[in-house]
Amino acid sequence: MTEHSTLLSKTLGSVFPFILIFGIYMITNGHVTPGGGFQGGAVLAAVFICKYLVIPLKDISLYKVQWVEKLALIFIILLAIGFIATGLNVRFDFFTPYYMILMNILIGLKVACGMTIIFYRFAYYESR
Amino acid sequence: MLELTLLLLIVLSIAALQTRSLRNAVIYLGVFSLAISFVYLLYHAPDVAIAEAVIGSTIATILYLVALQKYKIFTIYYRLQDSEVEDTHYFSRYKLQLVKSLEKFCTKQELEAQIIYSLEELDDILTKHQYALIIEEHEAFISIYAHHENYMLDKLEFFLDNEPAFIRPYRIVKMEEIEGEVME
Repeated sequence: MTEHSTLLSKTLGSVFPFILIFGIYMITNGHVTPGGGFQGGAVLAAVFICKYLVIPLKDISLYKVQWVEKLALIFIILLAIGFIATGLNVRFDFFTPYYMILMNILIGLKVACGMTIIFYRFAYYESR
Repeated sequence: MLELTLLLLIVLSIAALQTRSLRNAVIYLGVFSLAISFVYLLYHAPDVAIAEAVIGSTIATILYLVALQKYKIFTIYYRLQDSEVEDTHYFSRYKLQLVKSLEKFCTKQELEAQIIYSLEELDDILTKHQYALIIEEHEAFISIYAHHENYMLDKLEFFLDNEPAFIRPYRIVKMEEIEGEVME
């Protein structure tokens, strides 16, 4: 993908806001409609791949992305433990959808960061 | 509809195995992923269908295509002495002959030759850079150092044997053997 293609960059550039909205919709509505954290996160990672195809510019700090990913993992564990340990799941019914939305957002963030790291690491560093 | 798509899956997988070009095989695999995600949808598993469509047919396909692009570049370091650079001695005839036949080999194998003339020491190139071949010149012969994971080496040797005779003889050294000698 060394040569620059005008056709590809124009079409992908106009399409990628919709991919972003679709990913966010998939994450936030994951508990009622098909989709969820993992699928929405993969769709969000596709946005970064589009960015690479439009212009292969190395302006993302992979270190920061990795940091966000680790933070998301810590929050996933803490949230699950906290939700069950405090007994909110049996005491109040109306908490459950909010808990699922929050959990889906965190999982989506983690999956998007992970897939972005895998892709960028592969595309920019691994070569012979 | 379901049986038709399942038949399509078989056809696509056989096509991906039987095709000559790797790039075609990658495209067949992408279409295969799309078809199998449709099958999941018919089996009432929309969640799995979405995951398969996104990962199998987008991310994996692009990763394979980037990998194919990477695999095509064939980096050749040509190590020069300081004095050779000053009097542009490195364009002499016997060197150009070797470089030209290496380029011919790369074109034949659908690779892109990237030739780098370098002044660094051999050890520096070995440790710091990613290379496929390093060419170094001695009094009586030219030695070609090849990385031990280089999958093109056998084909290269065969190709160079069939070329017209070189003015200076060459010898090919695999890096594994050299490391073995140092250990002894």
